Parts: sequence; C-alpha cells; structure tokens
Amino acid sequence: MTSEPSRPAATSGSLGEGKQDVTMRGSIAAPAGAHGPGGGSSLQRLVLFLSRMWAWLFLAVMVLFFVVAVPLSTGGSVNFLTIRNSQNILVAIVPVLLLGLGQTFVLIAAGIDLSVGWVMSLASVLSALALRDAFNSGAPLPVAVLAGLAAGLAGAGLVGFLNGWIIAKLKVPAFIVTLGTSFIVRGVAYLMSENSTVIGLPAGLGAYGNDALIYYISGPGGGVYFLHRPDVGGELLRRMEIILPYPVLATAFVLALTMFLLHKTQFGRHTYAIGGSMDASVRSGIPVDRHVIKVYMLSAATAGVAGFLSTLRFTAGSAVIGDSLLLSSIAAVIIGGVSMFGGAGTVIGTVIGALIIAVLTTGLVMLNVDAFWQFIVVGTVVIVAVLIDQSRDLIVGRQRRGAAQ
Amino acid sequence: MSDALLQVRNLRKSFGGLTAVDGVSLEVRRGEVVGLLGDNGAGKSTLIKCVSGVYQPDDGEIVFDGATVTFSTPMDARRHGIETIYQDLALANNLDVGANIFLGREIKKRWLGGLVHTLDDKGMERESRLTLESLQIRIPTLAEPIETLSGGQRQAVAIARAVYWEAKLMIMDEPTNNLGVPEQHKVLELIRTLRDRGVPVVLITHVLPDAFAVTDRVVVMHRGRKVAEKVTAETNTEELVQYMVGARDDDVAA
Amino acid sequence: MRKSMLAALAAGVALAFASQPTLAADKLKIGFLPGVVDPFYQVMQLGVERAAKDLGAEVVTQVPPTWGVEAQTPLLDAMVARGDLNYIIIAPVDKDQMVGPLKTAADHGIKIITVDTYLGDGDYVKGPVKFPLSYIGSDNVEGGRIAARGLAKAIGGKGSVYINSTNPNVSSVEGRAVGFKEVMAKEYPDIKVIGPDFNLDDPNKAAQQTAAVLSREPNLAGVFGTNVFSAQGAGTAVVNAGLGGHIQVVAYDATQLAIELMNKGVVSLVLAQKPFDMGYLAVAFAAADAAGVTSLPPRVETGFAIIDKDNVKDPAIARFIYKVGK
Repeated sequence: MTSEPSRPAATSGSLGEGKQDVTMRGSIAAPAGAHGPGGGSSLQRLVLFLSRMWAWLFLAVMVLFFVVAVPLSTGGSVNFLTIRNSQNILVAIVPVLLLGLGQTFVLIAAGIDLSVGWVMSLASVLSALALRDAFNSGAPLPVAVLAGLAAGLAGAGLVGFLNGWIIAKLKVPAFIVTLGTSFIVRGVAYLMSENSTVIGLPAGLGAYGNDALIYYISGPGGGVYFLHRPDVGGELLRRMEIILPYPVLATAFVLALTMFLLHKTQFGRHTYAIGGSMDASVRSGIPVDRHVIKVYMLSAATAGVAGFLSTLRFTAGSAVIGDSLLLSSIAAVIIGGVSMFGGAGTVIGTVIGALIIAVLTTGLVMLNVDAFWQFIVVGTVVIVAVLIDQSRDLIVGRQRRGAAQ
Repeated sequence: MSDALLQVRNLRKSFGGLTAVDGVSLEVRRGEVVGLLGDNGAGKSTLIKCVSGVYQPDDGEIVFDGATVTFSTPMDARRHGIETIYQDLALANNLDVGANIFLGREIKKRWLGGLVHTLDDKGMERESRLTLESLQIRIPTLAEPIETLSGGQRQAVAIARAVYWEAKLMIMDEPTNNLGVPEQHKVLELIRTLRDRGVPVVLITHVLPDAFAVTDRVVVMHRGRKVAEKVTAETNTEELVQYMVGARDDDVAA
Repeated sequence: MRKSMLAALAAGVALAFASQPTLAADKLKIGFLPGVVDPFYQVMQLGVERAAKDLGAEVVTQVPPTWGVEAQTPLLDAMVARGDLNYIIIAPVDKDQMVGPLKTAADHGIKIITVDTYLGDGDYVKGPVKFPLSYIGSDNVEGGRIAARGLAKAIGGKGSVYINSTNPNVSSVEGRAVGFKEVMAKEYPDIKVIGPDFNLDDPNKAAQQTAAVLSREPNLAGVFGTNVFSAQGAGTAVVNAGLGGHIQVVAYDATQLAIELMNKGVVSLVLAQKPFDMGYLAVAFAAADAAGVTSLPPRVETGFAIIDKDNVKDPAIARFIYKVGK
C-alpha cells in the first residue's frame, strides 16, 4: 500500500454533490446518495418536511373542516371555534394527554406501558380514599386534597417501579410485564374501591376539579372574574364562559415539565439513547437499569395525576375510569410521531395526536354524526402515521435504523 | 520495555471446555500500531475483551501504564484510558455527533445553584467540532442523527469519541469491515494520526493489506495461541498467511 | 299524577302543536343522551324520534359506547358547547357524579330532563338535586318488588336466589335490588338472597358471574337479572349450565333474547318497562315547557308490563317487547 501524499485539506464538496474525493487527506466527504438538510432535491425535501409535519397539517385541515361544516349543518346556529368549545376540547384532552406524556417517554425508550389505564383507575380510587379519610379525620380541604394527590402518586409510582424493575432486572419483555401488572392493578383498584366507586367525598371538592382561572361574562352586567366561580345566576350565569379550568392548568404544568425533561436534560437524552441503541447506552456507562425503572415510574406518575384529576372532577374515585383511555393514549402518541421502534418522538407530537382525537370527537358530536365514527377515523390515522414513519427512511434514501453500518 | 504501555502476560481464558486464549503474552509500546491477526476463531476478540474489561481472564496478568490491573467492567477499562471500538461501533443512530461523543458524560449547565441541570448542546457541539478538526475529520453537519452519515464517518465519530476522552490505548476490532475502499483509506489514515499523537493502537484484523498499510508490528494468533510476532516491514503476506492457517508456528513462548 | 291525567296532558300538548304549524318554525332543539347502546335505549330513541316528528322538534342524539361517566361526560360537554340546544334528555349514568356536569349545563340555560335514571334521590322538589325539570322512568323499587314476588312464586317460596346487577350508584338498578330484597326479607323469610354482583353492564361478565354462583351454590333456585345485559348474561349462563327450566330466571327488560329464553322455559318472568313512553313523554315535556306550561309533574312513573308465558302471545302485552325497527 502506498502512503498518501500530504495535501492541505481542501473544502470537501457540500452534501448532495455526491463527490467522493479520494485524494483529500483526512477529510471524509459524503458518499453519493446521502442526503440531509440543505441537500437532496427540493421535492425530496418537501416530502421529508411533509412527513414530519403531516400531523400538524391534518389537525389544521380537520379544524378547518369543522369550522366550515358545523355551521353549515346546523343552519348557522352553531359554531365550532367558540370559547366554550375550545375549553371543552382542552378538558377532554386532559386524561389522554397525561397518559400519552408518560407513554411518550416509554415508547422513545423502546418500551411500552400497557398498564397506564388501570394505574389511572387505581390512582383515582387511592386519592379518593385518602382524601375522604383525611377530610373525615379533620384535615382542612386543601390538605386533604394534597393527601389525595400524594396517595395517588405513591400508588402509581409503586406500580411503575414494579414494572421497571421486572423489565430491567428480570429482562421480561415490557409488553408482557405491563400487561400482567395491568391485570393486577385492575383487581386491586376494584377491590379497594367500594364496588368500583368511592363516594362520600367532601362537598366543595368539585371546585378543585371544575373551577377555572378565568370566568368571563359577556354583555351588560358582565365582567372578568378570577380563580373562583362568581356567585351569579340567571342570565348572567348563562353567558358565563369558563376559561382554563384547573385540571387544564395542571396538565399544562405537567406538559411543560415533561417537555423540559425530554428535550433539555440528561434524563431525556439518555431516554433517546436507550431507545436508539441499548448497546451503545450500556457501553457508554449509562445506568440503564435505573433509567428504565425511572421511565416506567414517570409513565405511571402521569397516569397517577390523571386519576387524581378525575377524582376531583367527578368527586368520586372510580376503578373503571381508565379502561378505554389506554388505547387512545397510545394512538395519540403514535399519531404524534413517536416511532414504535424507539429512539424518536417529541412531546409536542403527542399533544398534536391528543388534540386530533379530541377535536375529532367534539366535531362529530357537533355535526350530529354518530360518535362511533371517531373510532374508524382514529384507527385509520394511526395506521397512516405508522406508514409515514416507516416510509420516511425510504424517502430520504437511507438504510433502516439498525441495519446501517 | 519501559516504553511498554500495555503488557499482557500469559493470559488464559476458557469458556467451559473451550480454551479461547491459551497463554498469550504481548506488549504494546507508545507510538506504535500493533496488528493482531488471525483467522476467525483464533481468539483475537476474546483476548481483546479480556484487556478491555468485558471478560475477566482465568489466568495471567495485565500491566497497564506500569501498574497491574484487573478490570471488572468495561467502564473500568475505560476509566484507565483503554478505549475499544467494536465492529458495531456502539453508537446511537438516532442521536447526533455531539450527543454520541458525549454519551453518558454529557456537558451540563447548572441553574438555580445546582438544583437544575440542562444539557449544554452548544458546548458539546463545539467540543465535538474541535476534536474532529484536530483529527482532520470533516463532517459537514454535526446536528443530524448519525444514521445519515456514511460508515466511514461513523467510524470517525467513534474514534473521535475515544480521542476526546483521552484514550491512552485504542483497540479497534475490524474497523474496515463493511466500508467502501475510499473510506477504508480514511480510517487507516486516522489510525496513523492517532499513533502520531502518541496514542498506540491495537488493530484486530484478518485483512492483511490493512495490516501492511498501517502496523509497525504484527502478532498472529491461531487457535488461542500466539504463533508469530514480527516486525511488519520484515515479513510478507505469504508468511503471515502460513502462520494464520497453522502451517507455521514459531511457538513463541510466553 | 294519575296516568289518565298525564295521558290527557300529553295528548293535549301534541294536539296543540299539531294545530299550530307556525310554532314549528321556531324550532325546538333537544339533545338526547342515553346511557349506552342497548335495546332498551334504542326503543326509547324510537319514542324520542316519534315525538320529535309529531311535535316538530329537532333532536341531536349521541349514544355513549360504554357505560360510565368518562364516556357520557365528553358527549354531554360537546352537546352543551353547541350552544343551540334548549333541552337535554339524559339517562345519567351515575346519580352523583353526573350532577356536576349536568348542573353546569343547566347553568348555561339548558333544561335537563332525566329519563330512566335520576340524579340525587330522584325528588326534584324536596331532594338535594332540584334543577332537572322532571324524572320520567319506572318505579324501579316497585319493579324490584314485583320481580321478587314473581320469582318467589316460581320457586315455591324457598331456596336461594341470586341478584346479578350492572353498576353501583345507578338509581335504576339500585332501586330494583332494593325493592327485591325488601320483599324477600319481609314476605319470604325462607328465601336466601345472594348478591348483587356487578357486571358493569357487560353481558359476558354477567354470564361468568352467574355461572360461578351456579357451580358453588347447591340450593340455587332462582336468578334475578336487573337489566338488559344482566338478564341476558344470567339467562345464557343458566342455559349453558343445562339448568334451563330447573332454575327460575326473572328478567328485567323485555329484550327479544329474554322473550326467546322465556319461550324456551328458561326465563319465567319478564318485566317490560316502557322506554318508548319515557322517550316520547320527555320530548313532549320539553315542548310543553317551551310553550310555557308550568305544571309539569316533576316525576312520572311509566309503569310495567309483566310478561309471563301465559300472556306473551297477547298482542296487547307483546307490544311492550323491545323491538327496534318497528
């Protein structure tokens, strides 16, 4: 082999020119066929952009559709984008989004958590029981509410720890473990509740779960009120708009927290790493087992918050409340662009996914279309989402993750 | 001898009834590239894994940088400055160059008096760029996931990672596997750069042209034993092949 | 209020509207939100739609896919958000948890009429919940009593009986269990009552629970299924165990399956409610209220048809069987 002659490093061809400059010392130009931002044909870039943003576009199109169709179908008497309706959508999103936020972390780490629906139910029951007991033994309502939150989170955290530990240490596949714990949790929730519902919660609790930050009464005699429901009746009450109910604010807080955690901290980075390559993570010295446990505890914790908020909203603990939400939360996360293979996804994506589901349900009711159609639409969108995720690599012309060398 | 960074003395490793490494000794001095040759199953990988902490040897000793050492985990070996680049590179495809170089050892910014830590992505990118430049590696986009890079570029990132963390000894297992010819040249170039910077390299390969291109000495293993140790310039392909297939055996004692 | 007066009122309202076509232009918009998808509510929907046609009202219907507050509340919220509904006819799926969401709807100016199930204690005049316009449904406690007496007679006054029910905290099935136990305790002390178990409105679960009781209870003589799915599930379990005819089943809600089981000798008594009446009257009340009527009764009991194998073929009775697609 001849050694290579010295040569000052010249500028390599920019990506996309596909030049292989064999004689350049030390520089490694991009081989033909690799594309990245700034490279590739405009069509390819457009398609790539669309494949990342399609969920946003779909949501926008859907909202537009309802904005136009709802007044048309009701002869102009009903509008879609009203204050009341937007707040409804926000409230409807709360449980699905909370479950979805935790699930986002789990899926990015290439796991899955099938127990979140029942963990939510358990948390609802536990917080109701703790709340009731605390209040009945004399604690003031705010303290009792905190006791409820603590109980819900503790129960949820325990389940999350169990999930994570079995998955990480005993190396049982996540699908099976979380399926198993979901059954256990379901039974426990039911047994701890009194025939599936815990009632007898203090009056006044409803305010925590249903009051809002802003109350706006339009028209004469109206005004803006904060924090507590103004004590009005009749016509004024009719015109009152409830803006940013507390559960929505609580969810927004959790959302901000998870966004920060996933995108700005080492915890988030390691979550992506474990999902992208467990091997690389182990060899980089990341304490993978501990991290996996934390991720599942996080997922359970968000379900715990969801259960707690549900108890506040309905002033009762319900052992069956989370059943149908698991699948919706997974659908939201997948629509939002989290890859089933792990290693990719964003929190904002999950928000978009949850919004799509909530807007769809609300819009269908307003169009007086049977709400069962939402299942057909959501299912279709999920499949489309996965297809787009898989085809993104084809579009860009690079090999599938994991096969690349 | 005082130049020897790594000394392996009489290392033995068995798995059940199979002796993978049978009393092998070798030395790596600063400023040299040593090729570890042998056909599949010769025991090269096992030997290397004993040195890098993946396995614990059954017998023999390892002396690194003047001290006898035992590595119970790969991180142990790493902390001593032995960096190993395996064939699969152990890179996270979904993360970018900076994230990979700093994986597990991320640079963080402290807020609120140490209560909150955020990732210093800009800092990591800057440091990565500096390291890559110092190795004369050009990767135009540091912010894209590394799965968009070519095989050779990814090798370069793996090497840059080891260099950044101040490897004292670099072990590379079949680095030119799966690479196109031009990229193979690049990797070999990098190995020379490393040596010139004072980082010795142990190069496991069964590709003789690579060994001739870049090594100063070669050690040949066959069925777990060291059967030859030669200065590269003083041997040739035919001879080495004979050692590799077991037709010749210098029976080099420990 | 006596039934004849009630009928006269409804007829009068219907006539009044029929003869004043101009009022139809000021369209009455009503939301209908039953509990879940099942034949009982489907017949109720027929009543609602018929009344809407007769009275010139527009109805927006949404049926929750499962029984639960988390399924009914979003649909309720969406209906309220439309802003164009004057009345909502609802079968609340929980007598306590649905109070909040429905009160909010009422605050927004929508009048609430509850059908089949009530809020609070059902007394909208003196009870804790006062805002709904009216409760139109069966007297479920009385229905439970009738079921108890019927079952007791069928099993000869002694043995054990098992109640299989749907959800706790739902006024309708709760009342049925209460009435049933009351009669058994007072009038048939030799009969032991087991349960109720809650199948959460899932006929499969009802069948499983009944099958379990069948296998562990040697003296089991009768089963009471407190609603559509409970009766279906319980009856199926009895048939599958080969005990049809030996164990008496009393079914609340006259679905076609229950009637089939009666014809096969598995079910001895079927209590038919009158969901068509409930639906029709609810719409009629809304129309009456919109027209300014202030004397609407706060509680209407729509009564039962008691079906056994002797009268099941009688058309006057058979018309109360829940048939959709009339």
